[in-house]
Amino acid sequence: MPETSYAVLGVFETPDALMKAIPKVRASKLGTVEAYTPYAIHGIEEALGLRKSPLGGMVLVMGVLGAITALGFQYWISAIDYPIITGGKGAGSWEAFIPIMFEVTVLFATFTAGLGMLFLLNKLPFFGHPVLSSKSIKGITRDRYVLALEAESEAFDSAAAARALQAAGAIEVEALPAPDRSPFLTSDNILRALGGIFAACVVAGLAMYFATKWFPLLAPMKYMQDQPRLNAQKASTFFKDGHGMQQPVAGTVARGHLPTATGTQEEAASLVNPLPRTREVFATGRKVYTNRCEVCHGAVGNGVGSLTAAYGAKPANLQAQQFRDYPDGKIYWAIVNGKNSMPSHAPYLSEPERWAVVHYVRALQRAQNAKDEDLKVATR
Amino acid sequence: MKLDAATSAGDIPEGLVEPSLYVGKVTPGSLDDQVLAFPETRPPRQWYIALAITLTAALVGVVSIGYTFYIGIGAWGNTSPVFWAFDIINFVFWVGIGHAGTLISAILFLFRKRWRNAIARFAEAMTIFAVICAVIFPLIHVGRPWLAYWLFPYPNQRALWTNFRSPLLWDVFAVNTYFSVSLMFWYLGLIPDIASMRDRTTSKLRKLIYTVLAMGWRGAATHWQHYEKAYLLLAGLATGLVLSVHSVVSFDFATSVVPGWHMTIFPPYFVAGAIFAGFAMVVMVLVVVRETMQLKNLITMRHLDVMNKVILAMSCIMGYSYMMEGFTAWYSMNEFLHHGFMNIITGTYGWAGWVTISCNILIPQILWFRKARTSYFWMILVAVGVTIGMWFERFVIIVISLHQDFLPSAWRIYKPTMVDFGVLLGTFGIFFTLVLLFARVLPVIATTEVKAILPDAQPSHHGDDHHA
Repeated sequence: MPETSYAVLGVFETPDALMKAIPKVRASKLGTVEAYTPYAIHGIEEALGLRKSPLGGMVLVMGVLGAITALGFQYWISAIDYPIITGGKGAGSWEAFIPIMFEVTVLFATFTAGLGMLFLLNKLPFFGHPVLSSKSIKGITRDRYVLALEAESEAFDSAAAARALQAAGAIEVEALPAPDRSPFLTSDNILRALGGIFAACVVAGLAMYFATKWFPLLAPMKYMQDQPRLNAQKASTFFKDGHGMQQPVAGTVARGHLPTATGTQEEAASLVNPLPRTREVFATGRKVYTNRCEVCHGAVGNGVGSLTAAYGAKPANLQAQQFRDYPDGKIYWAIVNGKNSMPSHAPYLSEPERWAVVHYVRALQRAQNAKDEDLKVATR
Repeated sequence: MKLDAATSAGDIPEGLVEPSLYVGKVTPGSLDDQVLAFPETRPPRQWYIALAITLTAALVGVVSIGYTFYIGIGAWGNTSPVFWAFDIINFVFWVGIGHAGTLISAILFLFRKRWRNAIARFAEAMTIFAVICAVIFPLIHVGRPWLAYWLFPYPNQRALWTNFRSPLLWDVFAVNTYFSVSLMFWYLGLIPDIASMRDRTTSKLRKLIYTVLAMGWRGAATHWQHYEKAYLLLAGLATGLVLSVHSVVSFDFATSVVPGWHMTIFPPYFVAGAIFAGFAMVVMVLVVVRETMQLKNLITMRHLDVMNKVILAMSCIMGYSYMMEGFTAWYSMNEFLHHGFMNIITGTYGWAGWVTISCNILIPQILWFRKARTSYFWMILVAVGVTIGMWFERFVIIVISLHQDFLPSAWRIYKPTMVDFGVLLGTFGIFFTLVLLFARVLPVIATTEVKAILPDAQPSHHGDDHHA
């Protein structure tokens, strides 16, 4: 038998035997009496003289606290910190907060009931408890009923305790030595750790909240207004003239803004055909010319169209030197504004179509006045 | 009371308060040997086959969800005006399944219905798994689930807060609270049983795992006293909670002005429907458990009989609710409500309305007969019917109400896609996978609670006042 004992266990076979033994063992006054059973036995609290569980009060307090927390939190957020008017109700209308208040109340109360019972009242987890390493523990969690006489002081007489238990009807007696070291993983330490984590969460949350309120422009929060770019009317060190804003390159055409022919034909002479000379553009020009121009100006642009005799006017011979010398812009101006008897074709042709016709007219002029090198290209 | 062959053959011990809570001679020791030995032995081949099937279904779900994340919610059939479809249908469906567990474990505990003890553990586990399946849907239907934490009120970088007047936010709180409370209730109940397993096992690894899970439980009278109090309090809290959760879910609909949703009957109607669907699922699983795990002496025909009575009662409440919907549509003389109700029985989706009514109201009426309540064929038929019917009920509520509301120019037909069905199948796979795993690693019957209701389990010298 070791020098110091933790307790002496006496094993009983039925709950009746246990209940009969409790008053006898308590009367021996050898130490604190504790019972170990596979399930809760009614009436054992009175027999052992235990105080009522304070859990009900704890749960009530925490439940009320949960309700107040939920109401306060929601009210502060919805009415003070970030007011949202929903359905025309006042920011402080609290009726909609009730469902969440109820849930938070239940949540607080449940955690108090469950974790409070485990950690606070029962001091679990307790992996190093001597009873857990006893021989009797297998019976305790199965179908045996155990009474323990626990040592209250150094003067505990384990032999006398064993005799008292046997006298009360124990079928087996087991003495438990005191544990030689205190375990680290106890409910107190776990509670401290949980409390620490909770406090850290609260502190981190508050710190984050106030940080965003007080220092809204700290890195890494980049705002779009801070990006590197040139603002209008600002100087630049990049360009030689020191201006942030530069003139566009000559001949630049803004997107969707092909040049238009306004003013006189002479003024339009400077307009540049924006379309490239591609197969598609020439195809468009040919189609438009055939549909709209050919009746007067003729298939090759020489002014001999099918309408001439009945029409009475004399359409321009585009093959004439005068028109071959025309800049593109003047032809374009004529298409847009009309000339002599020719009406404006602007309502019928889109911008790209007008310029495509200009290209096609140029092609007709070249075809009627081909040079030697053109022949080489054609026969290559 | 002659319920089935097993009951009549067994000798019912004297002194039992309620007869046929179990059959034959059961002692605390034999109970442990029967129930706790399960996880300690190798599972039979059928278990592996069942697990393979459920895992395949779960895989289909995982692939479908992955595809949804890759493509976006466009992978589903949701269109204007049916913006809510399978995601919310399945969410409400699975939250509902969970309610039976809480009802059995909490409400019946408060009413001191001892027949709950043998089935409470399984029902509670099913609650946890059903809620896990349920939370998948709000999570994935936000489209960008990695941003789902925006639903929580936390001090964020943008100094924004959530809108506490939105029923969808109430849902976040209700479902999270429900899951936490159910988990705690389940775990607390498990602790003494896990302690038993810890002290039984010979495997070192199991010993370590069960030791940690049991938290050093040693069955001290001082602990039992607090434990019993905590269990009672949790039951009371869970009772209020279970009624609130599905009420809050129903607020998602009832607080809107959509005809067919804007009704005061919704909260009680949803709660009853949830219990209805949940009990059907519990009956279905319990029948399989009872047959395959040799638990016929602990889960008796009487348990199933009582469960079927609850299903019948709920079926009648559902029938009343459906009638009230029709009555309200007629009595309110609201044209839109009237159109909505007629849509349920004669519209494009009228077949869904009739599936709901047949499965939820007509088929369960067979349970008026005791023969049907104690026959596997009929109770499985009813349970499967109710599961289908309750799923379609949510389909009716959501799709029929949405696809034709106030504005005829906005009416459109909704069609689910294969991905929709894949996710639904996947949640069934996840649910039954978890059920199978649970059955192999943890006690499927709350042995501690059943021990306490065995004859001679409580001391007799106090007289009869301690016997309920």
